[in-house]
Amino acid sequence: MAPLTQYLLLLGMGITTAGLVWMLYLIKQSLGQTLDEPGKDIPAESGNLAPKPAWLRYHVHYYGYALLFLAFDMEMAYMYPWAVVYREVGILALLDMGVFLMILFLGLIYTWTQLGLKRQ
Amino acid sequence: MTPFLSGFMITLLFVGGVYFVAVLERCSMTGNVSWSGPARSFLLLFAQEEIKTRKHDKVFFETAPILFIGVILLTISILPFSRGSVVIDLGTGALFINAALVYIMVALLMAGWAVNGVYAMVGGWRALAQLIAYSMPVVMALTATVMRAESMFLTDIVESQQSLWNILYQPVGFILFYISALAIAFLPPFDLPVAEGELAGGVWADLTGARKLLFRLGRLALVLTLSVAVVVLYLGGWMGPWLPGFVWTFLKTLLVAASFFAVGHFIPRIRHDHLLEYNWKYGVPLALYNIFQVGVVLLL
Repeated sequence: MAPLTQYLLLLGMGITTAGLVWMLYLIKQSLGQTLDEPGKDIPAESGNLAPKPAWLRYHVHYYGYALLFLAFDMEMAYMYPWAVVYREVGILALLDMGVFLMILFLGLIYTWTQLGLKRQ
Repeated sequence: MTPFLSGFMITLLFVGGVYFVAVLERCSMTGNVSWSGPARSFLLLFAQEEIKTRKHDKVFFETAPILFIGVILLTISILPFSRGSVVIDLGTGALFINAALVYIMVALLMAGWAVNGVYAMVGGWRALAQLIAYSMPVVMALTATVMRAESMFLTDIVESQQSLWNILYQPVGFILFYISALAIAFLPPFDLPVAEGELAGGVWADLTGARKLLFRLGRLALVLTLSVAVVVLYLGGWMGPWLPGFVWTFLKTLLVAASFFAVGHFIPRIRHDHLLEYNWKYGVPLALYNIFQVGVVLLL
């Protein structure tokens, strides 16, 4: 199968899924209206009727991990092509990526020693 | 096998697989096997009233379930069920699994944001934390399988396990991928975004009717997808004596899915800061060790 056909198939599957879900929404809508009772639309909050919205500034206490994750994720972009040609290139590939990974790994160790790997 | 027959078999396996996974999930929660249970749950959610919370985000409320179920169906369409019968054989298959499944976190965060409820929002932020925790081990484990196969085609990865399955060739990678798969599917030890006990359902707390149905159905399909992924990457895919490839994939998949639910049945929920901590302190170094080990063994 040509690569272009495959991506067209993927696109088609995505559109079909969205269409089926939309159909489900339409069927549910056509089943009729429900009663509009007071208090029905309050989000679950253990019985409290606090009027505040939930879209507050949230303390994302894992930001240290998130920064570390960015560095490692960039490195993974290089890993995939490297992995495909690994056996062809041989020991040189192991050394090249070994040095690269060692530098990143030292970064992880450093973060660990600076107590970055815990809940902030 | 003709393309038509092959497509028919794949659809049958997929629908049957989701049904069996639903039965297994019920069994892990209630303890007894109920063959009509999934149908009753489906009808219940289908007939349930649609409640929209006040001041909800209209765009995210409608699109989050579509995104959730969409990426899962795209992922399962690239996984090979048998030799020569795969819906879409992408040249970047191993990468695509990872890239598509990241959007599960996006869908959960969108759904958590959309309903404008506190519990759902906390569940959404937790889904993001969970991605940061499991992402690195799963990517590195995938890379090690690609190294052995010298190709990102999933069919090539299965063929590379002809002599020895990856579960024995790279056991560390298998354990990491297995645990990460549980975290991707937010199954019980890692069901932080939808924790019943602490968040009253988390992301799903305020969803009813069609949207809840799509999320429940999507999660069942997700468990099936990840079981097939474990089978393809580590358990030799369709390989096995006597029986045809389809049957082997199906049997192995059900076994893996059953083991997923069994693990969740016996292990208590992990704290989300512990999940992040353990994954970065032990998971990432182990994953790097796995790559190094596979690299050395390949060159010997």
